[in-house]
Formats: sequence, C-alpha cells, structure tokens
Amino acid sequence: MSILHKTSPEVGGLGHPIKRKEDLRFIQGKGNYVDDVRLPGMVYGQVVRSPYAHARIKSISTEEAKKLSGVLAIITGEDLAKANLAWMPTLSYDKQMVLATGKVLFQSQEVAFVVAEDRYTAADAAELVEVEYEELPVLVDPHKAMDPGAPILREDREQKSNHIFHWEVGDRKATDEVFQKSAVKAKVQAFFPRCHPAPLETCGCVADFNRATGRLTVYMTSQAPHVHRTVFALVGGIPENNIRVVSPDIGGGFGNKVPVYPGYVCAIVASLTLGRPVKWIETRSENLQSTGFARDYHMTAEIAADSDGKMKALRVKTLADHGAFNAAAQPTKFPAGLFSICTGSYDFSNAFCEVDGVYTNKAPGGIAYRCSFRVTEAAYLIERVVDVLAQELKMDPADVRRKNFIPANKFPYKCALGWTYDSGNYEAAMKLALDKISYQQLRKEQAEKRAKGELMGIGISSFTEIVGAGPAHTFDILGIKMFDSCEIRVHPTGKAMARMGTKSQGQGHETTYAQIVAQELGIPAADVTIEEGDTDTAPYGLGTYASRSTPTSGAATAMAARKIRDKAKKIAAHLLECSENDLEWEPGKFYVKGAPSKAKTIQEIAFAAYTNVPPGLEAGLEAVDYYDPPNLTFPFGTYVCVVDIDKGTGEVKVRRFVAVDDCGNIINPMIVDGQIHGGLTEGLGIAFMQQIDYDENGNVQGGSFMDYLLPTAVETPHWETDKTCTPSPHHPFGAKGVGESPNVGSPAAFVNAVVDALSHLGVKHIDMPITPWKVWNVLKEKGVAA
Amino acid sequence: MALKIEKTFQVPEPAEKVWAILSDPRKVATCVPGAQITGQVDEKTYQGAISVKVGPSVTDYKGDVQIVRLDAQAHEIEILGKGQDVRGRGSASMKMTGRLRALPDGGTEIASVSEVNIVGILAQMGSRVIAEVSNIMFDQFVKNFQALLKQPSDAPESQGMAAREASPINATSLAWEAAKGLLRGKS
Repeated sequence: MSILHKTSPEVGGLGHPIKRKEDLRFIQGKGNYVDDVRLPGMVYGQVVRSPYAHARIKSISTEEAKKLSGVLAIITGEDLAKANLAWMPTLSYDKQMVLATGKVLFQSQEVAFVVAEDRYTAADAAELVEVEYEELPVLVDPHKAMDPGAPILREDREQKSNHIFHWEVGDRKATDEVFQKSAVKAKVQAFFPRCHPAPLETCGCVADFNRATGRLTVYMTSQAPHVHRTVFALVGGIPENNIRVVSPDIGGGFGNKVPVYPGYVCAIVASLTLGRPVKWIETRSENLQSTGFARDYHMTAEIAADSDGKMKALRVKTLADHGAFNAAAQPTKFPAGLFSICTGSYDFSNAFCEVDGVYTNKAPGGIAYRCSFRVTEAAYLIERVVDVLAQELKMDPADVRRKNFIPANKFPYKCALGWTYDSGNYEAAMKLALDKISYQQLRKEQAEKRAKGELMGIGISSFTEIVGAGPAHTFDILGIKMFDSCEIRVHPTGKAMARMGTKSQGQGHETTYAQIVAQELGIPAADVTIEEGDTDTAPYGLGTYASRSTPTSGAATAMAARKIRDKAKKIAAHLLECSENDLEWEPGKFYVKGAPSKAKTIQEIAFAAYTNVPPGLEAGLEAVDYYDPPNLTFPFGTYVCVVDIDKGTGEVKVRRFVAVDDCGNIINPMIVDGQIHGGLTEGLGIAFMQQIDYDENGNVQGGSFMDYLLPTAVETPHWETDKTCTPSPHHPFGAKGVGESPNVGSPAAFVNAVVDALSHLGVKHIDMPITPWKVWNVLKEKGVAA
Repeated sequence: MALKIEKTFQVPEPAEKVWAILSDPRKVATCVPGAQITGQVDEKTYQGAISVKVGPSVTDYKGDVQIVRLDAQAHEIEILGKGQDVRGRGSASMKMTGRLRALPDGGTEIASVSEVNIVGILAQMGSRVIAEVSNIMFDQFVKNFQALLKQPSDAPESQGMAAREASPINATSLAWEAAKGLLRGKS
C-alpha cells in the first residue's frame, strides 16, 4: 500500500519533513512542565526514604520534624493503613507499598511523606524524621532467590517463597527433540543489566483537591493520564467525574512515567487532608533509585542448527529480577510481556521459551524502557545467539542471517511462538545496510588489521520489533481494551482542533497528528491544533508507550478524518448540486468527475457545515474514533556497527554506525530520524556505560549521574540512517511505529561488534555495560593488552 | 558495600610508646577525623560517634567500639566498631586489626587492616570514591597520630585536637580530593 495522494509542502501531509510545531515553545523555554505549575496556596511534599535494602521498622518518630516551623503534615505508612491506602495495586497483578509498613524492602523505599510551606522546609523536616530500623538479611542475587535458605522478602503474600511466576510458551517436547537430533548447537548466557530510562525531567505532580467543589485535579508526569484517572477512582474511591488528570509538557518518559508512584498518591492524600495544592517533585537520585527500572533479565538462549547454518529450533530460559514488588508496567496478558518475540527475524520451525520471575531487595519496576514490554531483551538475545552460531560454524554472521530470514513472500507469517507478523522484507533492509557500510571491504580491512594485531569489529543486528499495543486478545489494563482515540473538530473557517487519548513526551505528536489530518482532509498541518493530556477534554485513551501512538491514535486520527470526509462529501454534493457518486476527492477538495473546475474546498465545505447544511443533515463537522487495532505491527531493520578497540585502555570507539529502519509509511521523516538518533544514543549508553547495580548489602551503585552515565555529544558517534518501506497491511495508512526500534535494535549491534573484534581470540560473549575496564580485563586474560 | 583497606606507616617513636596510644581506643579516636569516644560501657567496650558530611546532609554514626583482642606481648589489637546514623540514614561497621613491629632504627612500623562495611547513602558513592575518601582520612589520621606521639605522654589532649573532633569531615571536599587523587593515579 502506498500513499495515494502526495500533498503539497504547504499542506504538509504524510512524508513531509516539516519542522516540529512544539519546538517553538520548547527552544524558547516556554514549555509548561509540571514543576512550572504554581497554584495559589501551594505547599510542598518530600519523601523520607529507607537507607536499608531490607530492614524492619521498629519506630518512626516525627516529633522533631513537626516542631520545625512551616511543617504542615507528616504522613506515615501507619496513617495510610488507616485509610486502607498503605498498599496499592500494580499493573502486574501484584501490590506495592505506598509508604512502608512493618518493613522496608529496598534502598530508597518510601517511608514517610513530609508536607511543608516551602520546598526547603520540607527537605529539612524530612531529615528530622527519625526512623529506627533493625537490619534484615539482604537478597540481591536473583539466582539465590529460590534457595531454601533465602530470606522470604514478601511476608504479605500467602505463597512463602520469592518466586513470582513461571511462564512458558511454545512446544518444549518438540523443541527438545530437535535439539537432541541436531548437529550444531550454539548457546549464549546473556545478562541484560538493570538500566533506567533517566528522562531529562524526573517524575512529579501537583495534587489539588478543591473542598468546595469536591474535585481533584492532578497535574502529573503521566504517559497515560486517562488510565491514571481510572486507577485513582478505583483505588481512592473518588468518583471518576470528580477527577481531572492533566499531563502538561513532559520532558521524556521512555516508560518511566507509566506507573503510579507512591509520591503521586502521597501528594493526593496530603491535598485531600490539607485542602491545599501539594507539589511533589523527585530529585535525580530519587528518580534513578526508586522509580521504574528496566530489563534485569538473566537469559540463556540456544539454537539447534544444521551444519550448513540452517536454524531449526530455539530454546530460551530466563530469570527475571523484578525487585521488591512486581510493578512491571505492562498491559499484556503475559507475565514476561512480549518476550516471546524472541524468535526475531528468523524462520524457526520449533521454539520454546520459559521465564521465571523472582523478588529481590531492589527497587520495583520492570518497565518498558523505550520498548514494547521486553522486546528489547528478546531482540538482544536472538541477535546475540545468532552471532554465536555464526562463530561456531565459522560462517559470516550476515550469511547466517540471510539463510534464516523469514522470506518476504511468507508474510503474514505465524511464528513458532504464536505471533502473526504483519509484513516484512528483512533481506532488503540488511542488503541496504551492508551496501551502505561497504561490508565486504570492512571484512577485508578487518583481516588486514588482525594480521597486524589490531582490533576491529563489525556487528550486525537484524531485529524485528512488535509494537502498537494493542489488540484486545493480547492486552488490557484493568480490563480496559488497548484501543486509542481521536476527536477532530473542524471549525467554520476551515481550521481544526484534534484531541487524542495518547500523550507526547517529546515524540512530536503536535506535528505528526496534524500531518495525518492534513493528509486525510487537505487542511494544512499548520491549521490543525493538537491537544493531549487533559482528561477533561481529550477522549479516553490508554496513553503513549510501546510505540503505540501512531498504530492506535494515529490510526484513529485517520479514521475520524475519514468520517469527516464522508460528511464533507454530502455537503459538497449539496453545494455543487450533484450526486455524491459524481464526486472525486483529492486532499483539500471535492470536484465533479471530469470537471475539475467544479470543486469545493474543505474550507468552503467547513463553512457550509455551519451555515448551509443539506436538509436532513445535522450541522457541524466533527468526528470521534476509537481504534482497536486488529493486530500488532512489526517494524524491523538492520543496524551495522564498526568498532575499533584500544589495546592499551580497552576503550571501544564506534567508528561507524549505519541504521536502516523499516517502519512502514512515514508521517514525518525528520521526526523519524530524530527518534532514531535519540534511541541509538540511548542504546549506546546501555551497551557501554549504564547499570543500576547493587552491592551485597543492597546499596544502589548507580544512583546518581556520578555513577549512572548518560552519553553526551562527546561520546556519541555520527549516526547514518536510511530506510526501506514495507507498509503495515492492516494500519489505515500503512504506518508501523518507530520510536523504540533504535533502542531495541542497537544494543546487539554494539555488543556483536565488540565480540566480533575479539572473536579470533575465542571470546564469545561480553555482558553489557561493556566498559573499558571490562574489555581491558578480557584483553589481559587473552594476552593481547598493550 | 564492603571494602578492605590495608595501610602501613612508620614513626620514629619506640613500639612501647606507640602501643600505649594504639591500645587505647579513646586516644586512637582523637586521631580519626570527625570521630570521638563519648562513653565507656565496660573495660573493653566504648560508645563512640563519627560525623561524615555529604553535600548538605551530615551522617552521624553512633555506636559501640569493642576491643575484640588485645595482645600486649605481640603488640596486636583487633577492634570492632558498629554504628547507625542517628536519623536512620544508614549504618557502618569496621573490623580493624593493628600490629606493631619494632624497627632496627628504634622506630616502629604500624600495619593495619580494616574491613569496612557501609550501608546507606554514603555507600552509594561507590567503592572507588569511598576507598579514596578512606585514603585521605587515613592520611589525616597518620598526621594526627604522629602529632599525638610527639606530645608528652601525660599531657592532656590539645585544644586543636578537640576542635577537630567537633567539626565533621566533609566527604564532598574529600570527594574532590579523591578525584584529584585518581587523576594523579595515586590510589
């Protein structure tokens, strides 16, 4: 499916690289973030946090803190327990403490909430809250969680173990049989470390309960404002019509702003108690240490293959560290989310995948960091083990991939683990990437360098994504289907306003949604205002994450626009005094077949919708659409990375990186490129720099930007991007979603490149983050360190 | 976070004189930056406190110091210290073994092995920084220790020493020193 009508640059429909409308205010410092919200009489909250990873709370004394002038209230877990709010449900059918009662289960856990007239007093008072703890044995190693002697962390649960779930998919018996008969086996044990989205803006809210009206307004960093409204109504018992959630401008989310955090709940409780607006804003360390982390998957993958490299079966076993509470913010019906996409881009006849989740004394989470619910872990694992297979067979990793790709003519393709891939052409994407980077020449260069003792590597990642949550058979939140919505109103002067149930955190929705309206109705994108994030005005939706906005709300926008176009056609026929059947459409106008000069523009039609409607037709030009996608979408691509390794320091330098993405039809190529650049940079950080690690006592070792490093312009290489286009057959305009692809696809490319540089030394795998220290130790062990 | 710190230094004074100080936790404490002995529980157990400032917040550890082993013959002492921050911000423990060796020139070599375990906010600074902070604290300790040795054995503690006890050591400035130390490749 191609785009039928290419609009003019002035209209700015699909495919035009128009500049982002929202940037005008952002680059002028005129954005309105939650910390910019200042209400009359507003007071400030500060969370008191646990220094221990596992300890019993013997006593909490708030006397000293209360004496401080300006302190208004101090809330503890015991206080919340009286209101039955000490615990709250998570999105993964577990519950988590809002404020600790009895004991704490991770360092930085929320223990009390101090409210004061100003932020400084709140922070000072928090220091004065005296908590007496009795330290308990700490469990940080998930492998030890199931040991008979392991301390039981969750005393609140009936099940007296640290095991959360066992989940499996695929045919174990058939897969095992293939392995028994197979000539070649490749295996990798790969740990995807605990990392953190670390958005530029931390989490926070302003809760404003108005005692006169009984209405609660919460301005919050929410990727899913409607869902949060429903959760507050269900958990807090406040009528949903009396709750308004507003997500103002958001400075990056990446999944970190999907869950409901204790700070939000405490601010709401404090506002209900005090009748004043309460602001709570996290510090950077609070964000890194207590809010939703990502990954922390200990994975083993095995491939059974023929000696010519034809892959037969895949077997995956994973241990998932969920921390103290299973607060994985994921709406699939499966405890490991979409991890069963681990067969990736390859045509396996048999596969089996099992995952066990366990509790440890670490921060809760398991959120999808720029990722569709564990697809990043899955893509990394399969792309890593395919390289190991190539190494075992002494084959070129590109050849192994080519030999095993799902052929382009087999789509829609049902994989061994049950997913139906919508469309794909993996070989074309890989060919473009390899041509662009001059792959054969690089291999020659590598051979020459090896002869001289120099270390150079080339890494390929031919990933497949699974995005666009999603169809009701796979997803729901509290039973609510994962549709999303759009409401469009065309004003009498032909300008339009559209609202969606999603919420941009930097994705550029104000531009891209306007381009969809422009494409479908011919109203220039500049004349279309997009508004999201206010539950009082926007239609209900499930929010923005998992690359779902374009597949769901984007689709709803096209569908709503088409409803408007259908009505516009009736009005045009009335104005042109002809039959609807005599009319042809091109973006921006209806004209009479064979007489293009007899036409009515969308602007003329819009005016008539309010001034001169045909008899029997109601006035106005508006439409709403709730779009429930029939399937997920499966974007893909091939990334190729070239690295040079310094034998003296172990430093890895990314010399080149080519990213070929296929996300179907593109709305705005400039925004897509921006998304790819951002996601690759995040992937670079994950591959080489970042880990939220814990020492044996459960102390966070990545709790500030001193230890948790973000790539800056200095570390970031030049990204080379290109595209192939394989539209989604089921999406209204063939789009697939792209935001996460670079974060999903790139870690394997980086790691494969490093391992490739060292493969002749017998190195088969190195776990991320691949720091110079780690590489240098490998070089030393292999006797090649300079 | 656990780390092991091994340090050796030499002083010109004879072993007996050094032992008189090293075997008395009250005297040793006056040499540790930010530390003090606040009371005595029994012959072998003392109550103590140490303040460490990290940015705007001060961690005040209070706890017990216990002499686990005291061998006057071999000039060996083993001390176990355990403390909790008074505002519940974490805990720390340290097992320190000190051993004296008389040198041919009449001086003394002091060898110490400390196993430190820190839980809480301080521990988040990471072992690289904490190790370097310990180095700097130790350097300060050695200076204080040497100054104490130079005093007549019956003299009361100097005013300067008492003043130092009152002000907590500042780990932020120590962290800067640590960074400089790392750059110099000193650690």
